[in-house]
Formats: sequence, structure tokens, C-alpha cells
Amino acid sequence: MSATVLERLERLPRRNLTVLALRGISTLVPGGWQNQTSPEALISDVLGSDDLDLVQQVRARADELSRARHEGYRRALSLYDAVNRSQKAAGGLRVLANVAGALPLVKRLAVLTPASQTLQAVDLSLKVAAEMLAFTQVNGLPGDSFAAFGDSLREYSGEARVRMAALVCFDALLPLGDNALHRLDGLLGQVGSRELHQLPSYAGMASLLPGRGDAAHLSFMRRGVDQWLGWADGFVGELGLSGQRAVRALETTIGPWHGGMEQLATFLDAFTDTYSHTGVQAVARRLVERAAAEI
Amino acid sequence: MSRSLRWGIGLLLIAGLLLGAFFFLPFRSWLPGGTVGNVPTREVVNGTLFNRLFPAPQAGEQLVFTQEKRGFSQARLKQGAEVRALLSISDVASSPASRNKFMHTEERLQSWPLVDQGSQASALLVADRFQVKVIGQGSGLDEQQRHELLGAFDLQSLAALNPSVVQAPAIPSGREALPPGQQAPLRLPLPGMQRQAPQAQPSQARAPQGAAPRKPSLFSFNRAKAALEPAA
Repeated sequence: MSATVLERLERLPRRNLTVLALRGISTLVPGGWQNQTSPEALISDVLGSDDLDLVQQVRARADELSRARHEGYRRALSLYDAVNRSQKAAGGLRVLANVAGALPLVKRLAVLTPASQTLQAVDLSLKVAAEMLAFTQVNGLPGDSFAAFGDSLREYSGEARVRMAALVCFDALLPLGDNALHRLDGLLGQVGSRELHQLPSYAGMASLLPGRGDAAHLSFMRRGVDQWLGWADGFVGELGLSGQRAVRALETTIGPWHGGMEQLATFLDAFTDTYSHTGVQAVARRLVERAAAEI
Repeated sequence: MSRSLRWGIGLLLIAGLLLGAFFFLPFRSWLPGGTVGNVPTREVVNGTLFNRLFPAPQAGEQLVFTQEKRGFSQARLKQGAEVRALLSISDVASSPASRNKFMHTEERLQSWPLVDQGSQASALLVADRFQVKVIGQGSGLDEQQRHELLGAFDLQSLAALNPSVVQAPAIPSGREALPPGQQAPLRLPLPGMQRQAPQAQPSQARAPQGAAPRKPSLFSFNRAKAALEPAA
């Protein structure tokens, strides 16, 4: 048996590159960010009480809920993991290509590695699609109408503002430039099934995406991104996010960066797992809220 | 066609069928551990039915639904950007232990037992089946405010959702109307059969628990449908 959601939360790193990157980006988001890795602290925060007996009851219930296959909490985590694995694999390849590009004999290798902007766009849209799938796995389809569902989705993304800021900055603004969100639809239009299959995460997620075949999956991703773009555009405007500001925010925690923005994005892709780190925290919070209501 | 070829083809066919049966039939759902507490999902009331029973938000407040699963529905009561409380209704069928805390309480709200858990949570057990809970968030709610919120739920309609309350008399001729041989649907472990069983099963399995308002609810409608189907 794999670990439950709260066990995963406990095992999250307290201080490494991922945490530093998130802490850096959180300086752009009002309200800040706390690296919540203690299930007990999370439970007593939700419950508004430190009663040990109650906390233990909630924890036992949360573990029971996350062990039930039909409830989808762990399926959401495996989605995040799939995306994260592929991001690291692709990022690692690109780092290798950067290094190899400097060596005269193996320079040709650099040409072979997929680093194009369309691939980056697909990667982002896969992440957004994974986010929506995970949302329905964790929360079901809340509310009786589409409007209520939309409210619920906004509430979820608003709750994880740092998570969304990291997604926007690391996967859109840094690699694709400041007008990334406006170019995204055009870039996705150029994507064929060949590009799609170059991404390792697509193979992992294909069975979870609705529809059959690459074309159906692509159109699902484009529709998902379309919805998300409306929200993300407002978010970027509200916080005044840009590639430059993201780099400066990251420099406060990681240290000075002398390379280009694209290289910074590659570096972050290869060596941090912000997406699954914040994903575990978001799922754990929803799980604890349910467990607290059911004990 | 030679004899060995025929044997070969026959064996291949058999092996293919066996493998197909193993990989394509939904055996997975028969394994334990799929649902919470191993309670079959059809015995748990769906969370969709709870949504309309939440209290209507007052001026300046907003109700945002956050989770809806089988046997559970949760919403946040927000004032501006601040979350005031988590409101939820859950079916205790999948968490029988949560019922115990109501045994020793004397407090009542609209005749249902009421319990305070810690300093920010109040819970109400409706019809011995549904737990309604208010958990104060952020700056918190005092006891009075939490109890008022609990009372604002549509508790009467919630009690009427209890499948063990809507008893056979709701449709007196329900069981007799079935043709002989179909009065008690057999529950064979075949995927196709499971679809018939749940409609007639849950209310007959349980003994009546006290008298409660018998409203024609969704469940009696299902029973009527179950009674009509074989005849049509």
C-alpha cells in the first residue's frame, strides 16, 4: 500500500530548493505562504482547537478516507506525481542539452532535445488539465449549477494563490515571455500528436483525460486552458506578475541569477517540484476539512 | 486442416477468453477497500441531495460549495474574502463511530441531539442518520451563532431523506405488485444484476426506526419505479 495523503504531507521537505523557490514567489502574493508540513497543525487550524483527542480522531478519519479508492484523493496525488515526473525528465534533458551545447564534440545533441515553445505550451496546458481533473477527483462536482461549480473552482484556485502564482510564473511567464497567456492559444493550435507524444507526462495522463485519441485530448486541453486563461489573466493583472518580477522575487531566496529567463525556467523544471509539493498541501487541506466534518 | 492445428486454435481461443475475462471484467470493484469503511455506495445517500438544504446566505454573505461526494456535501460561508464557517452535511452510514458522541448529550435543537466539539465546532444528528456540522473559521463564531446556523438548515427535509424512515406503507402494494419470482430480487454477483437490486433493497433491509413524517421523497419514487418496471 502506498502512503496516505497525510503521510505524504508529513514527508514533504521543510527546506530545499523547492521550498525556497516557493518562498521567493510568495513575496509577490499578498498573504504570503506557509510551508505546512505538519498534519496535526493543519487539523487544529481547520478545527480551531488543539484538543488532542479530536485531532487524533480527524487524522484517523482522514486516513480512512484517503485509503478508499473511490474517493479519489490519492488519484489526485498520482496525477500530480505523473506531471511532476515528466516535468523533471524534460527539464533534465534540457539541462543536459545546455551543458552539451557548450562542448564542441557533442554540440549536435542540443539540436535533438525538445525545448521549443510549443512543447512548453503543451506542458502548461497538461498541468492545467491535471489541475482540473484533480479538482473533480478531490471535490466532486460541487453545487447544483454551472455557476456554483465555477464559484467553487475559483474558490479552490484562490485558496492556493501561491500555487497558481508558481504555475503562472514558472511555466508561462518565464519560458514564454510576458505575453505568454495571449500567445498560448495560438501555440496550442500548432501542436500535433507528434509533439504531444514527446512529453512523457502525456503518456501517463492520456488514460485519465476524457475522450479517445490525441485530437480529442488536445481539444479538451485547449478548452480547459481557455477557461483557466480567463481567470489567470485577471490574476496576473491583479498581482502585476511579469517575468522580470518573478526573477527578482526568486533572487531574494535562491541567490543571484545571471542567465536568461528561459534557462531559469529550465533549471526550475529540472530541480524543483513545486507543482506536486503545493498539490499535496492543497489536497491535504480539503481532505482534513472533510474529515473534520465527518467525525 | 490438420488435427494439431485444430487443437492449437482451440487452445488459443480458450486462453484468449480466459485472459479477456480476467482483464476486461470489472473484478476490481469487488475487491474490499474501494469505498469508505467498505460500506457499499448505494447505501449512502448522495451528496447532491444535500445541496438545497443549506441555509440561505444573509445580506453581505456568500455560500460557496466546496465538496460534494457520496454521503457528503460541504460549503463555505464567506463574508467578503473572509471565510466565516465551514457548513457540512454528512451521512453517518459510512462513519458509524461519529454517532456515539450524541448518546450522552441532553442538549436539543428542534428536538435533534446537539453536541459541541472543541471551541469552534457544533454538530447535530438528524433522524439518527445525518450529521450537520458548523465549524467556525478565521476569527471564529461563538456558540450562539453556530447554533443559529445549524437551525437555519432545512432540517425537516433532511430528516425526510432518511431511507429507513420511508417505509413500505408509502406504497402499500409495492411488494405484492411484483410478479411472483421477482418479489425479492436475487443478488447474484453479476455486473448487470447490481443495477436492479439497489432500488428495492435498502428500505426493506432495515427495521423501522420510530415514526417520522412520511413524505413522498425521491426514494418512494424509486420504489414505485421498481414496482412498475417488470410489468412494463
